[in-house]
Amino acid sequence: MNRQIIPWSLCAAVAAGGLTGLSIGAAAASTPSLTSSTVLSDLQDPWDMAFLPDGTMFFTEKCRGLSVRHENGDVAHLLGMEGTDGFAETAEDLFCDGQAGMLGVAVDPEFDDNRFVYIYSASRLSEPGSNRVVRMVVNEDLTGVSDRTDIIDDIPYKPQASDHPFGDSGAHNGGRIRFNPGSGNLYVTTGDTHAGHVPQSGTELGGKVLRVDRNGNAAEGNAPPEGFDARIYTYGHRNVQGIAFRPGDHTAVISEHGPWHTDEINVLFAGANSGWDPRPNMAGRGDCPDDYCGYSPNQMEGMDPAERAAWMPMTDFETYPDAMAPAWENNQLSQGISGMAYLAGDQWGDWEDMLVVGYMGIGFGGTPVGQRIDLMDVAEDGSSAEASEFPLPMGSGRFRSLVMGPDGALYVALDEGEIHRISVE
Amino acid sequence: MRMLWGAALAAGLGLGVAAATALALEGDPAAGEARYAENCVNCHGRTGRGMASFPSIQGRDAEFIVDRLLSYRAREMVGANSALMFSLSEELTDQQIVDLAAFISTAFP
Repeated sequence: MNRQIIPWSLCAAVAAGGLTGLSIGAAAASTPSLTSSTVLSDLQDPWDMAFLPDGTMFFTEKCRGLSVRHENGDVAHLLGMEGTDGFAETAEDLFCDGQAGMLGVAVDPEFDDNRFVYIYSASRLSEPGSNRVVRMVVNEDLTGVSDRTDIIDDIPYKPQASDHPFGDSGAHNGGRIRFNPGSGNLYVTTGDTHAGHVPQSGTELGGKVLRVDRNGNAAEGNAPPEGFDARIYTYGHRNVQGIAFRPGDHTAVISEHGPWHTDEINVLFAGANSGWDPRPNMAGRGDCPDDYCGYSPNQMEGMDPAERAAWMPMTDFETYPDAMAPAWENNQLSQGISGMAYLAGDQWGDWEDMLVVGYMGIGFGGTPVGQRIDLMDVAEDGSSAEASEFPLPMGSGRFRSLVMGPDGALYVALDEGEIHRISVE
Repeated sequence: MRMLWGAALAAGLGLGVAAATALALEGDPAAGEARYAENCVNCHGRTGRGMASFPSIQGRDAEFIVDRLLSYRAREMVGANSALMFSLSEELTDQQIVDLAAFISTAFP
């Protein structure tokens, strides 16, 4: 498909004037006019959403729990975390701490038959805490959950603070969970927990993309190196908070946070190594604070991102010549790349089947903050991508999650406590 | 509305010479609001309540804000987000710090 890529400067100028409810005219004849509305507000760090075909929307709040917005707009609070009230059920082992908490949510592809919903959350059921994928059964009137089964209970959680930027406990959990519409397998993205050895470890599940069935067993076709946990689909990741499946062949595509440099988009294949290895005394590096070189060599001060990338690369081709090359590298900037989705439906015009990627925004050492949504056209072979800025019909914010709704609209969750619906006029 | 804090008040709060100097300036909430929109809103939020792992600054008085920003500008570690705050505060002038304090303390009580 011949796509219209809108110049960055034009989009930035359009987006700068955007407010909720404001329509943005088509920047080119082949691109749609957009409008937006606020679906929910006054939430506490909304992290993810998942839809039923009728528009029912499950959503998580990082420190509160799982709720559902019914088709008529009513909200029912299903599963609360420790210290919460107002939920039908409370799981006192589920907790939030820094970046950790209740993160991703997914609905089973066969929900009509099994009524399974899944969440990714930090739990104290095992010491020193872990991240888990929890499956539950939702009742018929969508007001409660039961039959909790922790289908994965051994994803690392960072229990202690360390000497790093954002070094509090609870850092780098990944946390997005999505079913592949082709295979029906569940993909689980995880983070490196600020532990240098974790991403390249074959037995620790941090810094990975896992691929499992609905019971948490390794999916057929996983091909990790010998000795690795069979649930590992890809490894050598830093902190993966976005995953979507390419229309047509359902190939998994992810977004990966960079460390003061180089957010990445990667097109995955079974057994791939994404090349992140923040261990000390590797690739010419010496010791690093608390055995994690992820922000080195100058973790507290600004530095040319290119120099930093050369010293501590997101994808280390020298150590791992066969590492999976990223399709896109955000101009070597780290800007909090997060949730992503493919635009579905011909109402999107030339943007149909394009990837949209959200950024929470972060500026360090003079780099631009970069809160935005990008439109991306990722090459079929995964070797490259063209990016342009999506013209927001609303104000900007920390774009945590992007999900296509069954109504053909794009739903976006902002850390500001809001979920918005962006649609084509 | 412009706000004024005296050096005597700063001294009474136990703040250093730099804080005392800054607090002797008049804070301009309107200028602080503009600076907040540029430097602060993407982590502390439109209402100052904090987001993700970034803390709330609601209910903080002007003296607290001035003291923290001066500490970060002086490269003093205050919590896990210090690296980010070092970067954001390093080019703030005393006047800009007092302006931010005037805005935050009145807009997010």
